[in-house]
Formats: sequence, C-alpha cells, structure tokens
Amino acid sequence: MILLEINNRTIEDILSYKISEVESNTKLELVDVTFADFDGVIFHISNLKDDKYKIRVSIALKFYKDLQEHGADDLLQREYGSLLQLPPEEGYNVTLLFDLKNLPENHQELVKKAGLLKRNCFASVFEKYFEFQEKGLEGNKRAVIHYREDETMYVEAKPDRVTVIFSTVFKDESDVIIGKVFMQEFKEGRKASHTAPHVLFCHKEPPMELQDTDALAGDKIGYITFVLFPRHTSKKSRDNTINLIHIFRDYLHYHIKCSKVYIHSRMRAKTSEFLKILNRARPERQTEKKTITGKTFVPTPYYPEISGTSNK
Amino acid sequence: MSATLRPYLAAVRKTLEAAFCLTDFNSQVVERHNKPEVEVRGNKELLLNPVVISRNDKERVLIESSINSVRISIAVKQADDIERILVHKFTRFLMMRADKFVILRRKPVSLSDTRSTILDEKTNPQQQPPTGYDISFLVTNIHTEYMNRFKIIDFIIHFMEEIDKEINEMKLAINARARITAEEFLKRF
Amino acid sequence: MTQVNVFTSEPVPCHSFSPDRSKVAISPNNNEVHIFKKDNSKWLQETVLSQHDLRVTSIDWAQKTNKIVSCSADKNAYVWSLDNGVWKPTLVILRIHRAATVVRWSPNADKFAVGSGDRTISVCFFEEANDWWICKHIKKPIKSTVTCLDWHHNNILLACGSTDYRARIFSAYVKEVDSANPEPSEWSSKPTASTGNLIGEWTTGGGGWVHGVAFSPDGSKLAWVSHDSSISVVDAKKNQAFITVKTPDLPYLTLIWSSNRFIIAAGHDCCPMLYKYDENSGKLECLEKLDKSTKKETDGFSAMRKFRELDKFAISLNDNSSSDSISDTIHQNSIREIRAHSLSKSGGVDRISTVGLDGKMVFWDTSRYV
Repeated sequence: MILLEINNRTIEDILSYKISEVESNTKLELVDVTFADFDGVIFHISNLKDDKYKIRVSIALKFYKDLQEHGADDLLQREYGSLLQLPPEEGYNVTLLFDLKNLPENHQELVKKAGLLKRNCFASVFEKYFEFQEKGLEGNKRAVIHYREDETMYVEAKPDRVTVIFSTVFKDESDVIIGKVFMQEFKEGRKASHTAPHVLFCHKEPPMELQDTDALAGDKIGYITFVLFPRHTSKKSRDNTINLIHIFRDYLHYHIKCSKVYIHSRMRAKTSEFLKILNRARPERQTEKKTITGKTFVPTPYYPEISGTSNK
Repeated sequence: MSATLRPYLAAVRKTLEAAFCLTDFNSQVVERHNKPEVEVRGNKELLLNPVVISRNDKERVLIESSINSVRISIAVKQADDIERILVHKFTRFLMMRADKFVILRRKPVSLSDTRSTILDEKTNPQQQPPTGYDISFLVTNIHTEYMNRFKIIDFIIHFMEEIDKEINEMKLAINARARITAEEFLKRF
Repeated sequence: MTQVNVFTSEPVPCHSFSPDRSKVAISPNNNEVHIFKKDNSKWLQETVLSQHDLRVTSIDWAQKTNKIVSCSADKNAYVWSLDNGVWKPTLVILRIHRAATVVRWSPNADKFAVGSGDRTISVCFFEEANDWWICKHIKKPIKSTVTCLDWHHNNILLACGSTDYRARIFSAYVKEVDSANPEPSEWSSKPTASTGNLIGEWTTGGGGWVHGVAFSPDGSKLAWVSHDSSISVVDAKKNQAFITVKTPDLPYLTLIWSSNRFIIAAGHDCCPMLYKYDENSGKLECLEKLDKSTKKETDGFSAMRKFRELDKFAISLNDNSSSDSISDTIHQNSIREIRAHSLSKSGGVDRISTVGLDGKMVFWDTSRYV
C-alpha cells in the first residue's frame, strides 16, 4: 500500500453491516464503538437513546474551531444535509444520524460519504481559498489550522496560486534525516510529473512567507510548501487536490516509519547472520558449557570471570 | 573487492593473528582475580602498543593488545547524515545483543578506556568524549582457549566487509522508497 | 613416531609424567589435577586431586621421590605424596599474595621453586622439625609476573623468565638443604651460596614477555623464547655471549633442549620447531618442523598458506562446512608445554611430549636430534 486511504473503513464497515442486518431482518444489537484516525481524530459510533435503529456517527477534531472559521459548517451542511444532527453529540464536533428504518435509496452513497467525514471537515478551508484564487481576490488573511499539537497548516491565496504550508515535527534525529531524503525526492518529483505542484522544503527555519508569524523554529521542525496552480484549484480537479493534500503529512510520516521498519528488519536478519559466522568459531563442545557473557559469571571454578565481580 | 579494501583487510587480519596470541594471566594487582589487562590497564608492561590501521580518513581500526586480551575498535565509513544514523542504529542494535556476541563490547571504547593510567574515580565514564570508533570487540584468552581463534578473526573481517555493504544497501532502500513515495503522490495531481 | 593422546576437550595448560612414565598428571584447565594411567594403548583416569580452589597453573612430578607438586591461581601450592595408594596433600607456605604461575622440582627433588604474580620466586624446602614445606623468597630485581622456571642440573642455579621482558639466572641456594660449599658453576665465579643472588640477566630488547626458559643438558647454555617471536641462547662458555633469532612464526610459549645442540620450541603456531645451536660458531638456526603433517605445503611458510586458506573461507560465506580445523597441524590450538618423556643413554631426549589448548597430548620422536 503506497497511498493512504482517505476514507475511514471502520465507519463504512459498521454502517454497511448494520444496513445488511436490517435488510435481512436480523435482530439488531446495540452499538458503541470509539476509534481513532490520523491527526488525533476520534470517531464514536453509538445508538441514539438506545434506539437500535438510530445510529450516530460523531467526530471530534481538536482543531474544529479553526476549520469553522473557514466555513466547515456550511460545507458539511452541503455534503450531509439532513443527516447532520444539531447540536452534535456531547464532546464531539459533528454528528451524523442514520435512521436505519428510513434509509433513502442511495444509502450506499451515504455510507461512502460518512466514511469521508474527516476529509470533508478539512475540505472547507481548501475550497474557500481555492475560491479566492479563482476570483482573483487578494489580501485575505492566511488561514492557520493547528491540525496537530505543535504542527500547523497555513493556506494562502494569491491571484495566480494557492500556497499550502505544513509545519511538521520529526520525533527524533533519524526521522529528520530520513525525512530530508524524502523531501529531496518530493522536490525533484516534478520532473516525473509535469502536472504536479511545486514542492519546497525548509528545515529548522520557517519559509519566508511565515517569517513574521509565530511559526516555530528548531532542529526537529520542517516546513513543506505546496504551490498549487490554477490547474489544481479549478472546480474540476479541486476534489482530487484536496483528497491528496489533506493527507500529505500522514503520508510522509507513514513512509518514514515504514523505512525504519524495513531497516530494522534488515538489521535483525544481518545480526543473526553475523551470529552464525561467529558461532563457526565455537567447537561443538561449547554448547553445554560455554556461556561466557559480559554479564553473567559462570561459577565453574576454572573460568576466571571477565566481568566486574570477584569470584571469592 | 576494491583495490584499497583488500590490502586494508589483509593488514587487519595479519595484525589480529599476532594480537590473538593470548595467554592466561592472573592479575598482578588484585589477588585471586583474572581480568582482561587491556581493560583494567593496571600494569604498563602487560600492554602492547596500540595499532591503528586506516583505509582512509573515515575508515580505520584500532587494535589494542595486552598479554591476555585484545580490544578491536572499528570506525565505519559514514559519508553523509543518512549513513551516520544507519551506522549508529546498527551498531546500537548489535551492542544491545552483546550477550549473544560473546566478543562484542557493550560500548565502543572511549578516551578514558585508552588512557594508560588507572581510571580516576571522579571521572564519569558517561561523560567521556567518544574516540570516533563505532563498535568495539573484546577478545580474551578464554575466548581463544575455547573458540577457534582463526575463525574469530574471520568473523571480524567478515563483519568489516559486510557492515559497509549493509549500510549501503539500507541507504539505497530508503532512497528508492522515497522516490517511489514522491512519484506516486505527485503523479496523482 | 608421533603419537596423539586425547584426554579431554578442555585446554591442558600443564602436564608431568611419573618417574616410570606409566602415569601422567594433567590439569584440564580447572582447579583439579587428573592422574591418568597408561593401560596398553589407552590412558585411563586413575585419580582426581582436588584441593585447589582456582585454576591449577602448573604441575611437576619429582622423578627421584615420586612426589607431585601443584600450584594454582589461588596462591597455594600442595605437595602430594603417595601413602598406601592414596595421594595426601601437604600445604606449602608460599607467603605470596598473587597467583602462583609455575612450579618446578630441583633435580635432586629436595627443594622446588614457585614463580608467582607477586613478582617473586619462592624456593621451598622441607623442614623436618615442623613437618612442613617452608620457603625463601627471591624478589629482586624481578619487576613483573614470573612465567617460567628451569633448574640447572647442579641443583643450585635457577633460570626464570618474566613479563618484564627478561630472562634471569639466580642462585637458589638454600643452606638448610645444599652443601656448605657448592661447586662453582660455569655461569659465575662469584660464590653462589647465597639465596637470590642474581647471576645473569638478559633481554632481547624487543619488549617481549618471556614465555619459556630452558637450560641445556650440560648446563652451559640457557635458551628462552619471548613474545616478540624470538628465540635466544646465551652461552656461558662463550663469555655469556647471546644470540637472538626473530622468527616469522607466531610467538613460542615453551621450549626444551633435546641435546646440547638442538632446541625444540612450540607455541601459538601449534607446531613444534627444531632449532640447532652451533657451539663453535655460536649460530642459532631453524632446521625444520617436527609436525610433518604440513608437508602438503608447496611454497612459503605455514602462516602464509594458512592466511590464504582462511581468506578463502571468509569469502565463501554460504559454505557451511563445519570443519573446525584451523590448520593441518596435529595440535589445533596453541601448545602450552613441552616435557621430556624419555632420555637417551647420552643424556639427550629421545621423546618429548607436548600439551596444548586443544586438550591433546602428543608424543614426538626426537632421537634423531640428539
């Protein structure tokens, strides 16, 4: 799996399962599931007031307030319409309510849509700024979304382009270095695909555009700038662009982690090979007796111990 | 094998053959003890002159011998940041398994280890600056008595050959993954 | 003929034969002394002497008195005497505070010397009055662990080697044992009737720890081997001139004179080597290997070929052949000690035995080199 899925499988699976149960007239059980998604998102699927035929799907995003400023509510109203339950479930930002007894004909489409709940929350800010760009409006305030703790996304519209800047924190030094290798490839990736946006990468210092803001600087912080041109922001390709760009941060970190996992498995294999080579130096008779380690002292009297303790 | 690697490894092998001539030796300092003299460094006359064999300014081997033990420290090639973290990760991984690798030291030698005087109690070994070696082996007379010493040398030479190859391959794997990741992502736009 | 005996898979650092050669005492690298008895072609374990509590470092079986002396890293030495078929230990008061490293009976077996990590040689003798073994110390000018000892046939002179890179000859005269006026030796015109008198001191200058010393049968020459892969001979008849030969082999650990002309040395290269000392010219040269199983070799000396072979093994990584032979020598690990097994009528050694870290004891025929 190279690309990450942007929909949430768990939502889709639970809803489809419930619908199939209703369709086959099986007795329904109560449902109460809480699960997580990227960027600290929490989903909760439960029944409304113990009614087994009324299923709520709620999402909690820590940064929903930031999104609301950019018309998230309107976008969700447009996408989900009557499914939206207002006010949302206590402790969550958005709640969708499915009445299994009164499902519309296109319920499969609805399930798909529900799976895209997180993506749609994100979408508002992009749509808004793509719109600005299209209309040639300038001088709008830059959108700032604190999508994770210490990590921020900035969106800004110019008449000829939209820039999206991610700040991201690399957990340790090796992530920084592997991340740099990846970003180098993203920078050069445009050679492979002429339709791709410009990608820029800054390490430690925020890019020029953010110089006057409270953007953090530090060894483990990186800034990735996407420069989106009208061909990305046009109504036609807009959805695709949003699908890709909102998951970019997770995509990058996912592959950094995959690389580390791969390195680790290689090291494990190589280590056991080294061990085999070393074991060639041990004659058969060693198997029972030879347990000299740096740590444990073998109390056979004729082994002078090679660690720090005295044997008498 | 490249032109410089062969004589480099040959020199290391010859030096190790001579250095591995170890004998049982009971401590002259503490009664009823038998310690690797290259580690305790209690008597100067029991230590031989350390030998450094360098292939270039980045790759070298330090061989410190004594009457009953030898310490071999290896500086692995690190051309850039990515090689540096890979070497660091790999050697750490190995050293955490030092119990299984009976001849592996848990830490590479530090400056205090190579001083010829007895360690000052006050100095904290944790704070000693590193000597620029990534991994160290400690071979004692017990190892050469119970193991085949020529095969221990084989192992060390094999290790030196393989670690460079492995680091290179891991680095290539990361680069390949990064390229595919970037291309797949960008071509969807 | 070469004859191989295997007692144990443990390293054997030391061994010694009974006067009639029917028994051998070895230590399997632990705190015990095992005595094996020859039964036709086999060696059967007869007794285990376990009085030491750390690794036994050296054993010597007195040829004249049938007593065994053993010493150990536990700082002690025991004299074992056979009493109604049972070996009884007597503790020796060595007055040392570090490991005892080597022990040798004097030719008359009325005293023995113990070298130690205490930079001391203890010359021990029996005190009838108290019924125990007491000792006198030789300390000066030894600056490091004593690794090896050998007695002169006159029962007075004692050669020692130590890790301060020097071979020395001391007087080990003990007035309680030796006659009041010992005959002067070829080594010194000075009176030798004083314990610990330094008669001579030599170093090869290469900074090698001395691993083995040996007097020639006539007592006029002393040979030693040291860690700088050298073998040296000093000749009393030549005004104590000495000659050192640096060998291309790995260092030797032990040596013996098979006659007044031939020396056999062995060590880390696992193969005993024959050296010839020419009394007239004072030259020392390597003649041949005793281990003929290396004849396959076509060019260069053994280390070279060994090296090439090992290089090959390291390359063929997928080759899982678990042959643990390091070389085509009989001994598969360092040879630690050479002993004379049988003497010829002329006083030379007809047969020697070697023990090594591979647990083997090998007999070599040396009657040709007398």
